[in-house]
Amino acid sequence: MDVTEEAGITGPPGEPLRVVPLVEEGAMVAQGAPVARLRDHPETCLVAPMPGRVAHVRLLAGHRLSEIVLFREAGGDRKVHDGGAGAGAIRALMQGAGFWPLLRKRPFGGMPPPGETPAAIVVMAADTRPLAADPRQALEGREEDFGRGLEALVGLTEGPVFVCHEPGPSLIEKGAGGGRVKAVLCGRRHPQGLAGWRIHDLFPARIEAPVWEVHAEDVAGLGELLETGLVPESRLVHVAGPSLRESRLVRTQPGADLRGLTQHVALPGAHMLLSGSPLDGRPAHWLAPRDRQVSAMPRPRPPAKQHWIKAALTRSGLPAPVIPTAALTQAFGAALPATAMVRALTAGDEEAAMSLGVLSLLEDDLALADYILGGEAHLRGLLRGMLERIETELAA
Amino acid sequence: MTRGLWDRETVALMLIAAYLPLAAMWLRYGGVAAALDFVAILLVLAGWQLVFLLVRAQAPSLSAIASALAIAMLMPEELGPLRVILGVSFGTVMGELVFGGWGRNVVHPATIALAFLGFGFPGFDWPDILLPAAWAAIPAGLIGVVAGIMPWPVIAGAVLIGAGGVALGFDLNAVLPAAALVLVLLVADPVTSAATTLGRWLNGLLYGFLVILFATGWNGAAPVQIAVSAALLATLAAPVLDEAAIALWRANRRRRHGKP
Repeated sequence: MDVTEEAGITGPPGEPLRVVPLVEEGAMVAQGAPVARLRDHPETCLVAPMPGRVAHVRLLAGHRLSEIVLFREAGGDRKVHDGGAGAGAIRALMQGAGFWPLLRKRPFGGMPPPGETPAAIVVMAADTRPLAADPRQALEGREEDFGRGLEALVGLTEGPVFVCHEPGPSLIEKGAGGGRVKAVLCGRRHPQGLAGWRIHDLFPARIEAPVWEVHAEDVAGLGELLETGLVPESRLVHVAGPSLRESRLVRTQPGADLRGLTQHVALPGAHMLLSGSPLDGRPAHWLAPRDRQVSAMPRPRPPAKQHWIKAALTRSGLPAPVIPTAALTQAFGAALPATAMVRALTAGDEEAAMSLGVLSLLEDDLALADYILGGEAHLRGLLRGMLERIETELAA
Repeated sequence: MTRGLWDRETVALMLIAAYLPLAAMWLRYGGVAAALDFVAILLVLAGWQLVFLLVRAQAPSLSAIASALAIAMLMPEELGPLRVILGVSFGTVMGELVFGGWGRNVVHPATIALAFLGFGFPGFDWPDILLPAAWAAIPAGLIGVVAGIMPWPVIAGAVLIGAGGVALGFDLNAVLPAAALVLVLLVADPVTSAATTLGRWLNGLLYGFLVILFATGWNGAAPVQIAVSAALLATLAAPVLDEAAIALWRANRRRRHGKP
């Protein structure tokens, strides 16, 4: 265990959550105790990742959560959550014990609404992102918890539960979950181990048939929660990147302080800390709810100011055209006609993009394509805009 | 964010690198006259890129070098400067620049320029392809395919149908060098060939089929004329082939997963 002295509770990346804080600044909280609940879904809580004192609660306008920061107090309590049998009780336990933000739904991303029944659940026991740790390591010695967590997930859906892992010994027993738990092999090359491409391949998400995604370590954590009533204290995080002397594989608390994790191994010089991989990480102060990687990257120099003539002469041609190459096809996992998808995204053609499977994808899945295109295509921004348009059209 | 390198200009540079063996062979045998042709055409292309840069704020592209090489190697002989300037201007403006520059064009500008020069001024002889230059098409294609900038199914499809044609006893000896050169210079262009795997196979097969068709049925046509015409028609068909391939992909997916 390599626990940092501070920890920050934040929502999933994207639109900030609207919350009601349940703790005052300066109050003591036990590990696993709720510190905030969602305004729109009061049964869903965010919990403290470690016992500590609430340093501050920062809200943005409109009760939107910025962060809740805790200082660690050694020897604090752990809250025991009361479980129960049956799918409804498990769902309530997951929401009350802060497990809900670890789920991500497709289409549109973010945590699922509390009452939603997914058409399928994909458990990712593979991670091909650069500098990612092998999720199998996180599962070592926790096979029983993992099996129990899978059984609980089976109760949440009427469809299949896919466990994606790289070639190697199987992670599940045959016939688990009444035959609805299926093992799926995925390749070792990025982006084959991303949930979006696996969902695209196995069970495309549709608006009326959402698919959930969850990390295998969190499933083991769910098994532990069901057995003991305790929220898992730690997760396996790989701290790496060119700005560090050495990479470290640490067990730390969710919401850990990224500076605390890197301060003894950072090389001199300006760097930035990303929660997530070098491709899809976001500059952050705290480890985000679903992230298992911290990347320390050299801080990019601010772009030199262009001469006004050069700016005027090149600006109208942006975004630069995308040339179809083998690299582009591979960046889309060779799973769909890449050029057609890029055209649909850049032209804002929602119908074509939906028929190509855009509803299964999120920003992470296009991070590699953005990278290989030299950061000029902004596919992630286009994808987010398109998903938002589809969502508003649906709501109207 | 760290940045990858496959932006437009890298692809253009890789394309030029792939064409280097061709250019070396061609200059070795063509000498100063060939080099002067190439430079003159490149100047015309650069002039139009500059015009579009100033008037439309459209960024210039190094792909002009590849286009200039293709035009210089394949254009009819002894046209005279005025006709060449006219043809090259038409090709690059109507084939590429009005669409927004390289990467947004529908047809290869060199294909348009060559078709314009060849069919607009019918009195001039098409060039004979030097055999060493035609052999150099093989390393050019290999570099392009290995670097991933030339679509391999296009080349594979064309080679396959060419081999099939030879095996069936069609007399293709005269047209093969020109067809190989046009294949790497014009047909296997990453932008204007089909963009789906199946579409690319069909694109290559269609090009090969048209070459065989013209070689056996078009009396009095020069080899380069045959190859350029086949390239033009195959390029124009590429969007239809893509559309068909995507429709098939969707149908397959619907069969596997139900409703899209």
